[in-house]
Amino acid sequence: MSSITLNAVTKRFGDLTAVDQLDLEIENGAFVALLGPSGCGKTTTMNMIAGIETLTSGEILFDGDRLSGVRIQDRNIGFVFQNYAIFTHLSVYKNLAYGLEVRRLPRAEIDRKVKAMAERMSITHRLNESAASLSVNEMQKLAIGRSAVTEPRIFLLDEPLSNLDAGFRAYMRAELKVLQHSFGQTMVYVTHDQVEAMSLANKIAIIDKGKLMQYGAPLDVYNDPDNRFVANFVGSPSMNLLDGHLEQVGNDAVLRLAEGSEFPLPPTVVAAFAKEAGAKEGVLGIRPQDIYVGPARAEDDRSISAEVDVIERVGPKRQLHLRIGKHDLRAIDDAAEVRPGERITVSVKASGCLAFSATDGRRLRATAGGARG
Amino acid sequence: MSAIGQEDQRRGLWDTITRSPKILGLCFLLPTVALLLFIVVFPLLMQIYLSLTWWTPLDGIPWYEAYEGFIWFEQYEILFGDSEFWGAIWRTVLIMLVVVPAEFFLGLGLAYLFIDRFPGRKIFYSILLTPMMVVPAVVGLMFFLLFQGTGPINDHLGLPVTYSWLGDIHRSLIAVMIADIWQWTPLMFLILLAGMLGVPSDQLLAAKLLGGSNWQNFCKIIIPRMKIVIIIAVVLRSVECFKIFDLIYIMTKGGPGVATESISVYIYKLTFGDLDWAYVAAIGLTILFGLSVLAVYGLNLMSKSQRRA
Repeated sequence: MSSITLNAVTKRFGDLTAVDQLDLEIENGAFVALLGPSGCGKTTTMNMIAGIETLTSGEILFDGDRLSGVRIQDRNIGFVFQNYAIFTHLSVYKNLAYGLEVRRLPRAEIDRKVKAMAERMSITHRLNESAASLSVNEMQKLAIGRSAVTEPRIFLLDEPLSNLDAGFRAYMRAELKVLQHSFGQTMVYVTHDQVEAMSLANKIAIIDKGKLMQYGAPLDVYNDPDNRFVANFVGSPSMNLLDGHLEQVGNDAVLRLAEGSEFPLPPTVVAAFAKEAGAKEGVLGIRPQDIYVGPARAEDDRSISAEVDVIERVGPKRQLHLRIGKHDLRAIDDAAEVRPGERITVSVKASGCLAFSATDGRRLRATAGGARG
Repeated sequence: MSAIGQEDQRRGLWDTITRSPKILGLCFLLPTVALLLFIVVFPLLMQIYLSLTWWTPLDGIPWYEAYEGFIWFEQYEILFGDSEFWGAIWRTVLIMLVVVPAEFFLGLGLAYLFIDRFPGRKIFYSILLTPMMVVPAVVGLMFFLLFQGTGPINDHLGLPVTYSWLGDIHRSLIAVMIADIWQWTPLMFLILLAGMLGVPSDQLLAAKLLGGSNWQNFCKIIIPRMKIVIIIAVVLRSVECFKIFDLIYIMTKGGPGVATESISVYIYKLTFGDLDWAYVAAIGLTILFGLSVLAVYGLNLMSKSQRRA
């Protein structure tokens, strides 16, 4: 068990900066997901933590100690590869025993630990078979078990669930969570799947183009994104983001969209935009869940007329693709009966409207704290 | 009427051939089988036949009339008592037992160096492979010159001009072995490197992260995964080495005395020096039999380990 601190970690491959001045504090026993689109530098970050890649600059501390001079072999890090890297020429037993055998533990102790871990991962019945004969699901368990048996100080998992079928993935997600609890180990988990990150981690680090975008608890990241990238990346379906000019029409503040239609702004958002002095443009973010069909239900909610473009069924939920002028707006609402092509009134919850700077995508908040439950 | 009947009969034969896949298949196979009979089976039978006679080309009768000197297995009896033959076999095996392991371990070590990238890797790679491309006779000539009393090797080692390599009954064999190792280590290196690069790099990394030292990972991951390649490389080199001729013939002509006489050199001498072809036929068959037994054993070993892998 270890805490990990990344201080201004930078990794350059030639001209490409894969990781740029990344600061991250991973507490002892935390389960942290590194989330980001492909090529954002999350795997590079993980490889640097493991010692597979060297740092161009910055430092990584384990419990306050620098490990840069320590060989990979001596770092005692559990690493689960995306493709598991099972030793297919060995038996399942030998795979589990590898980390213990190279440490020259007594036979009896190795045997005890291997059997206990096999029991834990429910692969006891396959112990004496060739590891090559395992199914993908069993390989996954073996890969985790093989790392866990050596009781590493931290556990790194590189997209471990991406090769699994949907059913087993859900099962393994739950299993990982249980494992993390029972091992009590610091785990860092790389994924591009936000559902995985949201459901597994107790903290998510969202990375884009090598930069840390936001680091926080899953719900905080979802409800209170720090910037436009996080707002767009986290959540499914993703947040509606409307670019426009900030204008005053009569008593009401509106966002004038590109082709001229007006989007009324709730007072909280107006206050938030006011924080950026002299801003003429702004970005309004609304989660599809915060748009409902019908007139405003609260004083601060705002209504707008929109045309129903397409209706999509996503499982039990109904997703409406609405059209305001030339802008597409996604809404999730099952309450009212609507038909494609119909013109309806929709309203947005004032609490669901977020303001972002048009220049740098920064989140604008009305109050200094701004965080909501 | 009979003409029509013949026509029908011919038609019938053609139909049987073309309509039966089995017979048609045999027809297609026929040329290959005939060729194989001519270049493999016929010489083998001829060799067996000659080895049972006294015949030499000096007898003045063609080989197919060699039955006049038919002596059953007398040639083989002579062979078993021929100390020069057994000496040559022993020397050849000795060369094999020294040279093949030496080439294997050198090649393995070099291959291990070359799995990592380092500046100049491609250049060193090309340089390392060069000896293999040189014609063996040229290598023989090179080492013949290098090992002269006045040659650069004695010069570098600070040995006197009278210190002879190729003229000494003990050192001449060592000189031949060195030349062979120099020439054929690259082949081992090439095959073993290919095998080593085939070991998945993520498995090596995983082994490292599990705490295995480089040596432990080498023994437990790399070598076991290369088993088939290793067997192929060693068998290939052993068979090649058993046939060693060019190097020895150029460097020492099998001498001094018979100190470096390999089985190939011995056979060459008997064939073109003594013209004792019937005896040579007996030797050839004996060696063929011996090597076949070894080959079957080797193949068994290989398929066994393949089944386990």
